[in-house]
Amino acid sequence: MIIIGEKINGSIPSVGKAIAEKNGDFIRHLAKAQAEAGATYIDVCASVEESIEVDTMRWLINLVQEVTDTPIAVDSPSARACAEALTFCNKPGLVNSVSMEGDKVDVIFPVIADTKWECIALLSDDTGIPRTAEKRLQVFEALMKKAKEYNIDPSRLHIDPLVEMLCTSEDGINTITDVMKTIKAQYPTIHITGGASNISFNLPVRRLVNQSFIVLAMNAGMDSAIVDPLNRDLMGMIFAAEALLGKDEFCMEYIGAYRKGIFGPAK
Amino acid sequence: MSKIQEISTAVETGKSKLVPTLVQEALAEGNKATDILNAMINAMGVVGDKFSAGEIYVPEMLVAARAMQKGVEVLKPLLAGDGSVSLGLCIIGTVAGDLHDIGKNLVAIMIESAGFEVIDLGVDVPADKFIETIKAHPEVKIVACSGLLTTTMPAMQETVRAIRALGLTGFKIMVGGAPITAEFAAEIGADAYTPDAGAAAVKAKELVS
Repeated sequence: MIIIGEKINGSIPSVGKAIAEKNGDFIRHLAKAQAEAGATYIDVCASVEESIEVDTMRWLINLVQEVTDTPIAVDSPSARACAEALTFCNKPGLVNSVSMEGDKVDVIFPVIADTKWECIALLSDDTGIPRTAEKRLQVFEALMKKAKEYNIDPSRLHIDPLVEMLCTSEDGINTITDVMKTIKAQYPTIHITGGASNISFNLPVRRLVNQSFIVLAMNAGMDSAIVDPLNRDLMGMIFAAEALLGKDEFCMEYIGAYRKGIFGPAK
Repeated sequence: MSKIQEISTAVETGKSKLVPTLVQEALAEGNKATDILNAMINAMGVVGDKFSAGEIYVPEMLVAARAMQKGVEVLKPLLAGDGSVSLGLCIIGTVAGDLHDIGKNLVAIMIESAGFEVIDLGVDVPADKFIETIKAHPEVKIVACSGLLTTTMPAMQETVRAIRALGLTGFKIMVGGAPITAEFAAEIGADAYTPDAGAAAVKAKELVS
């Protein structure tokens, strides 16, 4: 499972405060803790005004790279900010994200075309988030055409089918899991990702909904997720689900992660 | 770290892709096949002890055993015909009426890794089958009977009684399984009881030395 550590995000109040106060230690600590907890990527999202976004991203990315070699997920709603920020990274990471909205794909894909950078792609377009599975798959098709144009292999793409809140959904996550299964069947090497927390919006004890979602989505082919790697229960559940899905021979990954203290009683 | 130590570490940590390469390299350095084999057997001894102490889990023991098997495959052509390297034959099975095989399989793996040859008769093995196999292999050193049910403890007793009735003395009888105790083992005339696979391998070695 590819773990994209979500904790360095300016929209989280404590992180926003650290950014405003230029508290480097706070950011370094978040980066190190997530890397040690098994993050595959450290997501970096400034969530500041456009005029200072790129400078803030540079500051954040440098702090992360001071304490860990874990690659960075460059996270901004602005494709241009992503394109600039990825030049600050010491090694290829993950662009978070493009979609078929506006010219996002045409800004990012040429920049990463001949690199090892990977990219999250949301299945939305200028009309917003499509309601049906068919419409999302149409957006997906258009996206894959663009990827082919820029010679970006499916294995470098993390498709986010855009999970919506469960409390107003008419069919639970069935639309989303249908999309996941169809995509994975067409492109076995493609990654499927998503945030684990939108799903539980406006429900009590959200973590139970989030964790159940992750397990069911993994069963439908999700192999990448934007989550808090310091959430020990969630991490344990992810390792357990991998083993249950037959992706962990002799449960060695599960046991290894436990030994490293990633889940289970804190050591 | 010497090559032999590297092999031990690789076996203990279950590196089955690495072990054959290391064994080749150790041979190329001039180490004797028997020394390499003994190092791997000792490494499995460490693994068994850790399992008995509850420090490692079943799959960790299995991958260690698998890693050792990969090393043994490299050594086999060099060891062939050299009877001195085997500790002898062990016949193992789960007694009549009992279909449990996980514990018995673990014991078989660990005893084999300790340097024995193993004939595994499987599960639900009638006393006659044990006896037939013992007669066919008079060189047998250990007969190991497993049982996981309280209801099959009488079958274990009957099996041990029938084997003893043969009047042969060249081998020892070991018993084990969840409901079995050292007292029960003594009562039915078995030579040894052990509580887990790691301890079984240690005991088997002890009984033939």
